Amino acid sequence: MSGPILRRSVLDGISFATFVSAILTIIVHPTREQMLNLPIVAGIFLISFLVGCLVSQILNSMGIKTLGQNLFEPDYEKAKAEAKAWYRTFWGWHLFLFILVLFVVGINKTKFSVIELLDQDGFAGASRLFKGLFSPNWSILPTAVYNIIETVFMAFLATMFAIPVAFILSFMSAKNVVMGRPVSYAIYFVLKAILNLTRSIEALVWAIIFSVWVGIGPFAGMLALMIHSIASLTKQYAEMVENVSDGPIEGVRSCGANKLQTIWFAIVPQVILPYISFTVYRWDINVRMATIIGLVGGGGIGTMLIQYQGQAMWSEVGTIIFVIAIVVWAMDLASSYIREALK
Amino acid sequence: MNEPVLRIKNLHKTYPNGVHALKGVSFDVKKGEFLVIIGLSGSGKSTLLRCINRLHDPTSGEILFQGEDSAKLKTPNQIRTLRNRIGMIFQHFNLIPRHTVLGNVLVGKLGHTSTIRSLLGLFSDQDKADSLRYLKLVGIADKTHIRADQLSGGQQQRVAIARALTQNPEVLLADEPVASLDPATCHVVMDYLRKVNQELGITVICNLHFLSLVRQYATRVIALKGGEVVYEGDPNNIDEAWFEKIYGEGAKEVHIN
Repeated sequence: MSGPILRRSVLDGISFATFVSAILTIIVHPTREQMLNLPIVAGIFLISFLVGCLVSQILNSMGIKTLGQNLFEPDYEKAKAEAKAWYRTFWGWHLFLFILVLFVVGINKTKFSVIELLDQDGFAGASRLFKGLFSPNWSILPTAVYNIIETVFMAFLATMFAIPVAFILSFMSAKNVVMGRPVSYAIYFVLKAILNLTRSIEALVWAIIFSVWVGIGPFAGMLALMIHSIASLTKQYAEMVENVSDGPIEGVRSCGANKLQTIWFAIVPQVILPYISFTVYRWDINVRMATIIGLVGGGGIGTMLIQYQGQAMWSEVGTIIFVIAIVVWAMDLASSYIREALK
Repeated sequence: MNEPVLRIKNLHKTYPNGVHALKGVSFDVKKGEFLVIIGLSGSGKSTLLRCINRLHDPTSGEILFQGEDSAKLKTPNQIRTLRNRIGMIFQHFNLIPRHTVLGNVLVGKLGHTSTIRSLLGLFSDQDKADSLRYLKLVGIADKTHIRADQLSGGQQQRVAIARALTQNPEVLLADEPVASLDPATCHVVMDYLRKVNQELGITVICNLHFLSLVRQYATRVIALKGGEVVYEGDPNNIDEAWFEKIYGEGAKEVHIN
């Protein structure tokens, strides 16, 4: 099965199965027990998914465009379509109903409730919290500042360690560099798989892993951020490498340069500025992430925050949030100025 | 002047996407000549040049360069040595935009320089002196420390010529060297190519579009059409009939001065 058809079938199948499941839930009103019966639930979803794929196939072969077809069909097919208002097309209604169903299920799942939001007791609790937050306890300011410095350097070191690793890996995971060499191509695929896996595990989870490994504290947080930064920077760097213009590469190769020389003389000068820009941005992101990572034992200001929050000491939490806000704001400003200057 | 520096025999090139760009091209290039290749876009001119220095791999046929068949070279090392002996300049100059003019010209020395030394930027004084000498030759020595992307198109092409000369090439390939330049600059660049050809005795193989330039600079001309050689000989013998044959019915010659 070719790519566009596969993608079309998956999208149409999932939307159909979602639709069927939602209607079934409304009609049958299953109990919690019944909902937890995974084989049955998954079975129903899978069967309706397959039916959906089939329906999509039939509709499209009749010339009625489904949402998946409209989205994934090749451009030359798209160019043939005549312009019509969305409500006069099948895929328009398909999209509308799909979003509607998702919206209804979402409201149901998140227990969305205006009553809770306006509840008297809850409101009183929240206003107590806000009162605390807005009357910070400045006596803990020195500790907060001390801790946020730890956080900033955690982020800085993680970024610094990630730079050289990501720099080297980025060339090994750029398609235009590995092209035409079987061994490099094999390394490329393995590397891509590992990096995708690493990136799909949140920094928060890495922090939990490392806090068991090296003990709770800033070192665990730094390692977590470093792993995550390597994976993210490599992807971003590699995309830059894939977008360089071929002219300089051809020019350098025509002089008899080898692979390393070609990368260094033709590719690196083209990507160095975007590299720096991404790296500064990554540090900025890492400072924010370091705060969150502290919540699960990664050290720094986050760990301090979670301690005071656990004791409902809102004035102290207010101080910490103030310090975090100032630092994040300053980092954000600095990184945007630096990136602007590098353009 | 009579021994061939390059003999191309029955050269074929088919791209992976199925395009058959060269269909059995054969010709000789004599030492010291200024050979111009003309033809429509897509006639295979660029492919031909890139096969000669193995930026592209020919599908079949022979390319005898100084008696050795360079179409048969397999290892990256052999191919790099070949490229080092053949200079090339391009339509879009293909310089490194963020490097200085000198930095760009030194790229011509990469083939002679070890990987470590070149990555650290440790080019020998001899290399630098060579680079400066060729920058002087193309009349651009005053721009040595300026970034390449600050230069005009014509100046960039002259830097590219200096880069190619720094290789000490036996042959210089020029792939439409003036196609992205204005008519005035165009002659400046062509004059430097002629100077390189006549003063340094380097054989030049040049792809060109404009017949008026061809008549002015070429010592011999080859016309490609659909991947085959349709004309070979004196540029002044290309009359209107030949012109229509090469460029198609109803084509009109444009003169640039």
